[in-house]
Amino acid sequence: MPDVRVLVVDDEADIRATVSAMLEIEGYDVDEAANGADALHAIELRAPDLILLDMRMPVLDGWGFASELRRRGNRTPIVVMTAARDAARWAGEIAAAAFVAKPFGMDDLITAVERARPAL
Amino acid sequence: MTALELISLVTQVLFIGLFVAVLWHAVRQPTRARLDTVLLFGSIALVVVLSRVLQLLSISDAEWAGGLLLLFLNVGPYAMIRLVDDFSGTARWVQIAGAAAFVLIAVLGLISFRTAPVVIEVASLVWFIAVGGYAAIAFARSARSSRGITRRRMVAVATGAGLFIVAIVFAFVGALVPSVAGVLGVLTQLTALAAVIAFFLGFAPPTWVRHAWREPDLRRFLERSIHLTGLADDRQAIAELQRAVADTFGASGSAIGIADPQRPVLRYLDRDGEWVEYPNDAFIGGRAFTAQRRLVAMDAPGADPDHADVYARTSANTVIAAPVSAEGRRMGVLTIYADRAPIFVEDDMWLLELLADQTAVLLEARALTTQAGELRGREEAARLKEEFLSAAAHDLRTPLTVVLGQAELIERRLLRDPAASIDPAGISRMAREARHLRDLVSELLDAQRLEQGLTVMDRAPADLGAIVEAVRARHVEHGVPLLLEGPEEALVASVDRPRIEQVIENLLENAYKYGADDKPPAMRVWQDEREARIAVVDHGAGVPLADRERIFERFYRAPNAQSITDTGMGLGLYICRRIVEEHGGRIWAEATPSGGATFVFSIPLEPDAAAETHESKRPMADLPSWPPTAVTEATADA
Repeated sequence: MPDVRVLVVDDEADIRATVSAMLEIEGYDVDEAANGADALHAIELRAPDLILLDMRMPVLDGWGFASELRRRGNRTPIVVMTAARDAARWAGEIAAAAFVAKPFGMDDLITAVERARPAL
Repeated sequence: MTALELISLVTQVLFIGLFVAVLWHAVRQPTRARLDTVLLFGSIALVVVLSRVLQLLSISDAEWAGGLLLLFLNVGPYAMIRLVDDFSGTARWVQIAGAAAFVLIAVLGLISFRTAPVVIEVASLVWFIAVGGYAAIAFARSARSSRGITRRRMVAVATGAGLFIVAIVFAFVGALVPSVAGVLGVLTQLTALAAVIAFFLGFAPPTWVRHAWREPDLRRFLERSIHLTGLADDRQAIAELQRAVADTFGASGSAIGIADPQRPVLRYLDRDGEWVEYPNDAFIGGRAFTAQRRLVAMDAPGADPDHADVYARTSANTVIAAPVSAEGRRMGVLTIYADRAPIFVEDDMWLLELLADQTAVLLEARALTTQAGELRGREEAARLKEEFLSAAAHDLRTPLTVVLGQAELIERRLLRDPAASIDPAGISRMAREARHLRDLVSELLDAQRLEQGLTVMDRAPADLGAIVEAVRARHVEHGVPLLLEGPEEALVASVDRPRIEQVIENLLENAYKYGADDKPPAMRVWQDEREARIAVVDHGAGVPLADRERIFERFYRAPNAQSITDTGMGLGLYICRRIVEEHGGRIWAEATPSGGATFVFSIPLEPDAAAETHESKRPMADLPSWPPTAVTEATADA
């Protein structure tokens, strides 16, 4: 398992903690951010290889974060992670590498992350 | 020929013409009332013809001739009291006394008209004034109690009767007092002419007069019926239509029976405004419906003895009914009833048909409106259900992700190392989100129950200030800052306490969720006239003016709330509103002056408790122990 660094962006603390634990047990190196603005800040500190992104968040939502990220020329692959039915559409809107719909288990999460990794 | 003679001739011709007209009506449909009009105008016509014949034979100056004419003229008042009975009913003794007096005066006339004409003249004068006057007054009273064209015709009849009596009295007095005979002769002719014109208008109005008289009533009917299609309540619309039909027809009431497309029943409104069903051949209306032709029953209890009690209860002695149909579809039946047959009822069958047609138009329009409304309702219900399922599924997914993820983590760790230590934080997360799931499910069930109005159960007098204080105390106990500006006195209202606490908790939850992080929410409790008011104030983004009503709708979430957090089914405020409304109160959103949202709800105070507030103490001591809720447990776990 290569040392892959993942940034988990979600406003729900329990989701962040759970997703982080799920990734960590599979050997990923995880950072967390509570919204798009925090995530942009976190990227400055430590560049991730992959971003797991919730779409609806206060302060700066997934769309705002993604467009700002691309505007800065950052090509880090994004995996959309949402409870909405529109997961696939939203993923398309921000040109995400993959999406995973809540509720997801370990396998779903890892599959989505693995699918996004070839883009690394 | 002098002018007076011309007037006399015209009057006499008109009386004969009127006799022919009422005779024609009576031959076509011989009812008692019609025969009585024949008796009235027949006797007058006979006197007219007889006097002309006597004049031609040059024997009209003979003393007995006057007596003979009087004999026939005296039939008039008798016919009138019979007509009074036909129109509005009289006591039986009046009829008997009238008949007896008539026989007496007829016999007296037969015996004395040749020998003592003055005797019979004076007796006839008394007879005319007493009986004729009584009849004229009775007609006038009957006119006052009737409506529409019936009233106009009754007024004409009463006027005719009054003028006729006056004319006869003038003639008598002229004959008895020769010194004023000249003047009275002119007056007699003029009043007689006016009388016959009035009688004509009353008993045989020309079609154009009838239409002119009908016009204002029809116009009113159409004006009233226009707004009936828009009335939301079917029963209200039908009741209004029934009243309008009865008013227009000048009847005491009307009933509209609505056919059921599937079953052989007619639906009527009962006196309490509720639907009742009868077999579709019940009542005279039912017979008209099944036969699909109009029916007239002058004696409804006799014609339909099975329902005699119903006719008696509604004083429906005369019933006329016409089927209501459109394009061959049998929609129902229109029944009009009255205590007594409006004497002119047969003349107005065209009006019945017209009203039946108009009823069909209205029923049709209402059916279309209802269909469209039902369709809209179904679409709206489907849309709401869709939104609800989507919102519910979304809200359930987030905690479910945590529960599932944490469970799989534990499973995976234990698979790799059966002796692995358990992560307490993960377990807490799982438990917390499982409870969150439970709360969401009960919120859904609450919303469902609210739809059926089953939420507010046990109401008991309680001090709202104490309830709010108890909620605050719990929050503070769990380390959550919360300000309370309490009432000076106890505010006692009859409430379902757990439900009111639920409202406060819901509002507080919103205040924490959408409020400012640095400024804790506050509560305020005060009395405003006859109600208690409770406000929850936050300093967050506030509610946009456009959303202040809609946020209380089911599943609605303000766009700015959606941008703050994805979670929330849009049920919390809806549940609050329903609970508050079931308590007879209101709930609304305002802007916090310094920024943010203020949610206020009002609960009516107990009428006598409000007066006692100065004496009563706040029952802080008997606060119930707090049942564990999601809020307290979540705080404890955090």
